[in-house]
Amino acid sequence: MAEELKWPEGNVGRVLGRALPRVDGPDKVSGRAQYGHDKRFSGMVYAAFLTSPVPSATFELDPAVAFEVAGVVDAILVADGAVLYLGEPIAAVAAETPEAAAEAVARLGRAVKLTERPWAVDREQALDKGNKAGLGRQGNVGRERTRKRGDVLAARNTEFPRIAVSLEETYTVPVQHHACLEPHGMVVEYDGRDFARIHGSIQGTFALLDGPPEVLGLPAANIEGNVQHMGGGFGSKFGIGVEGRVACELAKRLKRSVHLFMDRETEFHASGNRSGNHATLRADVAADGRLITLTSDSDKLGGLSGGSYAWHPYMYAPEHSMVSQRSVHTNTDGNRAFRAPGHPQASFSIESLLDEAAYAVGQDLVEMRKRNLPVGDDVDAREVDDHATWHRHLERVATEIGWYEHPNRSAPGSASWLPDRPVAVGIGFGLSVWGGGGYPGNQVEVSLDRYGNVTAKVGTQDIGTGARTLVAMVVAEELGRDVDEIAAQIGSTQLGMGNVSGGSTTTACLVPAVKDAAAGLKRALLAKAADELGVEASTLELRVGGDVGRKDGGVALDWTRACQLLGAAGLTAHGVWQADLQASGVHGAQAAKVEVDLLTGRVQVLEMVCMQDCGLVVNRLTAQSQVQGAMVQALSYALFEERLIDSDLGARLNPNLEAYKLATMQSMPEMKVIFDDEDQRGVIGLGEPPAIPGAAAIANAVHNACGVRIRDLPLTPDKVLMGLEALRS
Amino acid sequence: MKDFEYIDPGSLDDAVLLAGKEGWAETERRFIAGGQDLYAELKTGLVEAEGLVNLKALHANQLAGMGVLEEQGQDLYVGSLITLRQLERLEGDGAAQTLLREAAASVASPQVRTRATVGGNLCQRPRCLYYRRPELVCLKKGGFECFARSGHNKYNAILGGGPSYIVHPSDLAPALVALDAELYLHTPQGMRTLTVDDFYTLPESSDVTRETVAGPADVVTGVRTRLPSGPEWRATYVKFKERTGFDFALSAVALALAFDGRTVVDARLAFGGVAPKPWRVDDEATEPLLGLERGADGRRLQKVSRAVGDAALRWADPLEMNAYKVPLTKGLIHKAISNLISP
Repeated sequence: MAEELKWPEGNVGRVLGRALPRVDGPDKVSGRAQYGHDKRFSGMVYAAFLTSPVPSATFELDPAVAFEVAGVVDAILVADGAVLYLGEPIAAVAAETPEAAAEAVARLGRAVKLTERPWAVDREQALDKGNKAGLGRQGNVGRERTRKRGDVLAARNTEFPRIAVSLEETYTVPVQHHACLEPHGMVVEYDGRDFARIHGSIQGTFALLDGPPEVLGLPAANIEGNVQHMGGGFGSKFGIGVEGRVACELAKRLKRSVHLFMDRETEFHASGNRSGNHATLRADVAADGRLITLTSDSDKLGGLSGGSYAWHPYMYAPEHSMVSQRSVHTNTDGNRAFRAPGHPQASFSIESLLDEAAYAVGQDLVEMRKRNLPVGDDVDAREVDDHATWHRHLERVATEIGWYEHPNRSAPGSASWLPDRPVAVGIGFGLSVWGGGGYPGNQVEVSLDRYGNVTAKVGTQDIGTGARTLVAMVVAEELGRDVDEIAAQIGSTQLGMGNVSGGSTTTACLVPAVKDAAAGLKRALLAKAADELGVEASTLELRVGGDVGRKDGGVALDWTRACQLLGAAGLTAHGVWQADLQASGVHGAQAAKVEVDLLTGRVQVLEMVCMQDCGLVVNRLTAQSQVQGAMVQALSYALFEERLIDSDLGARLNPNLEAYKLATMQSMPEMKVIFDDEDQRGVIGLGEPPAIPGAAAIANAVHNACGVRIRDLPLTPDKVLMGLEALRS
Repeated sequence: MKDFEYIDPGSLDDAVLLAGKEGWAETERRFIAGGQDLYAELKTGLVEAEGLVNLKALHANQLAGMGVLEEQGQDLYVGSLITLRQLERLEGDGAAQTLLREAAASVASPQVRTRATVGGNLCQRPRCLYYRRPELVCLKKGGFECFARSGHNKYNAILGGGPSYIVHPSDLAPALVALDAELYLHTPQGMRTLTVDDFYTLPESSDVTRETVAGPADVVTGVRTRLPSGPEWRATYVKFKERTGFDFALSAVALALAFDGRTVVDARLAFGGVAPKPWRVDDEATEPLLGLERGADGRRLQKVSRAVGDAALRWADPLEMNAYKVPLTKGLIHKAISNLISP
C-alpha cells in the first residue's frame, strides 16, 4: 500500500484551497455550454403538458382532439381520470413546433370536462372540520409525532421562581418555489433503434437510468444519461419525474427524439417546493436568558407530501422541551427537498423566538444564543466541539457586522419617523447546522497519454456549483500540473459511477475518489520512471510542472520524457471514495444588517456576513459563490417569495416570474463570506447550511431596527409599514 | 397563441381602416407598437388576434406626430411612438422633462424600456393577479365578479374602486395628469383632443372591461403637457415598488409645484398604483402646499405633507389587504414634497 493520502497542510496547496475561476465558466457565460433545454436533434418533437386548473377533480378527455391542431403528432393522457392537486399534469401532447404544442394544450384545455371534488388549498381549509378532501389519517391531517426532553409541564411548576418571562407566538412561512432557471425536463435523443441518449436537467446523472429503460423498453446498457450542464435543482431534481416518464413514453411511441421541459407555470405547481409552515412556540425564560422550557407545535404544509421541518429546539438546548409536528395536507403539489429541507423554516421560528425572549429579559442577542447552545452532555458526538465553534462563529460575525458598536444592543430602535431619521438600521443573527460528508460510490478514472494529456473521468453531474472544476483541481494538485492542463469529463453514465447531488455530499463523495485516482496515476508514473532509471520508485517524486525528480535533488526525467515512456497504452488509474479524506457535521453563523424606510416599510438588506466551517475549502471562489448564492436565496425568501393561491377559487395566482417575486440585483447586500480555516477535517460540503439562517437574521434585524416583529414571511413593505403604524399609534 | 397576420399599414387612415374594417370584432385585429404588453397578453391567452396592425411600420410622413418629441415653450409634446428609453434620456430640469424622465426610468428594465412606447404604456392593461389568469373570467373580462374584492387584494385599489378594483399600471399616466397634459386621439370620426385625466375612466361610470375612452379603432397619437405658464414649475415622480428592480408601483406620486421665487404658488398632484385610473388629487387637498417656502425645515415639511396626505387620501376605502397603501402614499407625498422643497 502506498503512503496515506493527505490534504495539503493548512488546507492550502499549490492549487487546492485557492480561488480559481471555474473551468467551464467561459462556456457558460458565452452560451457555448449546452444545457438539456438547449438540445436540438433532427426529427425532434416538442412536448407539453395540460395541467389541472382546479385542485381536485375527475375528468373526461379524448386526447385525440389535439390532432385538430396542425403539427401535432401525438397526445396521451398522463393522469388516470382524476387529478389530486392544482396544476397536476392531465395530458401531454407532442408536436413539430413548441407553438403547435402550446396551441394543442389550449385545445385540450377547452375539451377537458372536469368534475370538481372537495378540496383544500390552505391550512385553514384543510383543518376545517367540514372539509371533505380526505387527504390525511384524520381529515387532512397526518399523524402527530412528538419528541420530549425533560418535563416541560413539571418544570413550569418546579422552576417557577426562575421564570422571568413566558412567551407564546406563532410563526408562519409560505411555500417557496425552487425557481430553477432551467425548468424540469429532458430531451430523449432517440430514433426508434436500439440506443437512446437522455439529456436531463437532473441532480444525478445515473438517475437517468432509473425508469427510462423500462419505459423505452431498452436495456440500461443501451441508454446513455447525459448531464453536461444543468440549470439548478436545489433538491427538486432527484428523479426523472412525470416529465421524464412522459418524454420517454412519447419517444417510444413516436420513434423520434422528444423535447419535454415544463413551462414556468407547470414548473411552479408540479415540480415540488419548500413546504410552508405554521408553528406555535412557547418558552419560559430565566432572567439570564436561559430557556427553561420550550414547546413547539408545527403544522407542515407540504401539499400532498408530508412537508419538512427540522426538529426543534434545533441546535439549541432548552432545559426541557416538548416538540410536536404534524402534516396538514392540501390539494397542492407535494414538497420536495429544497436546500436544507425544513431548516430555514425551523430556523425562522426558533431564532425569532430567541430574539423575542432576549429583548424581553434584556439579554444581548449574541449572549442569548451562546447561553442556549448545547454544552456538556448536550454535545452531539461530533468531531469538533460544537459549542465552541458556534461561539467563535457568532462572535466573529457580530464583530464583522458592527454589533458591538451598534446603538440598538439592548432594545430595538424606535418606529418613529422624524425628518432627521427617515430610516432605521438594525442587526440580526441566526445559526445553522448541517451534516454533509460523503459516502462510497464514485468511481474515478484518471489517464495520462504519452503526449502528456491528462484526462479525469467520472460520471458525476455539476449542479452548478463547480464539480467539473474541482475534479481538474484535485488532479492538477496531485500531478503538479496546471488546472487548464487537465481535461475533466463528467456528466455521463458511460463514465464511472457518480453519486447523486443531495444533502451537501457531492464534493465529499467526489473529491476523495478523484484524489485516490490521481495518486494512483502518480504512483504508476513514478514506477515507470523508476524502471527506466533503474532506481527504487520511493526515491523519486513528482514536482511542480510534473517533472520526475530525485528526492535527494535534481530532475531525473522531465514531464515530456516521462510521458514518452508510456507508449501507446498510456497510463490509467482508478480511484474510489476514501473515508479518511472527508468528514461530516458543519456549523455556521450569519448576521444581517438592514435598513428600514420608516415612511414606506421597505427593507433593504445592507450587509450579510456568514462564517461557516466546511472542512477543506477545495476552491475558495466557487465556495464563496456557493455561500453568496445561499444568502441570496435566503434574502429572497425573507423579503419577497410567496406562492399565492386563491383559496375560494382554488386558482393559481402567481405562477410566473413577474408576480412570484425573486430578489433582483438591486436588492443585493454586500455579502461577506468567512471560512473557518481552523477546520482541518477534510472535505465536508457546503451547499445547504449557508441557506438556513439568512431569513431569520433578516427578520430579526428588521425588529432590531424599528421594533416591528414580523412573524409571517415574507417581510414585504405592507406588513412592515402596518407594523410601524401600529407601534406609532 | 394563435397564428396572426402581421400587417404593415400604408398610412394611419389605412391602419384605422385595417383595424376597423367591416366585420371587425375585438378578437380580430389590434394595433401593435412596442408589444411589451400585447405580446404577453397574446402569449398568456388573455386576448386573441387574427391580425396585428403595426404602427411602427408607418412611413415618417404618415405618423401624424407619433414619432415627434419636442419642447414647445415650457411644455413638451411626446408622440405615442416615442420609446420610454427616449423619455428616460430627456435633458433639462423643467417640470415636464423631470417628471417624464423619472417616470419612464422607473418602468421595468432597460430592455423593456427600449421597446416600450408611450402609447403602449398609456394603453396597457391591468396587472391584477386575477385579470392576468386566463382561466379566471373576472369582471374585467366580461365576467360577473371582481375576484380581487374579497380575494388577494394587496395590489388593488384604495381609491375609485368598484365594481372593479384594478389599479392602472402606467407610470407615465399619473405624471402626465400632474402636468395637465392633453392627449390626441385619432378616431375614425377624426382627431379628438382631451385631457389625459379624461382619457381614463373609472369602472363605475363606464365600460368596466376598458380603462380608457378609446374605441378599438382609435389610436393615441401623442400627448402634450399644459401647465399654466408664468411661474417656474418643478416636478418629481416618486414610485414605490415592492421589489426595487423590475416591478409595478404599489403606489406612486407625481407632484408638480409652481414657484414664485422661493414660494409655492400652485400645485398638481396625481397618484399611480392606487386607483383604476391615474388619480388626480383635487386642489383642495393640495392647498396646504401654497405658501410653502423652498428650503423650509423638516418640521414644517412634515406638517404640510401630513395635511396634504390626510386630505388627498380622505376618500381612501381600502380592501382587506391593502390598507398599507394609505400610509404608504402619505409617505411618498412627503418624499415628493421634500424632493422639491429641500435646499
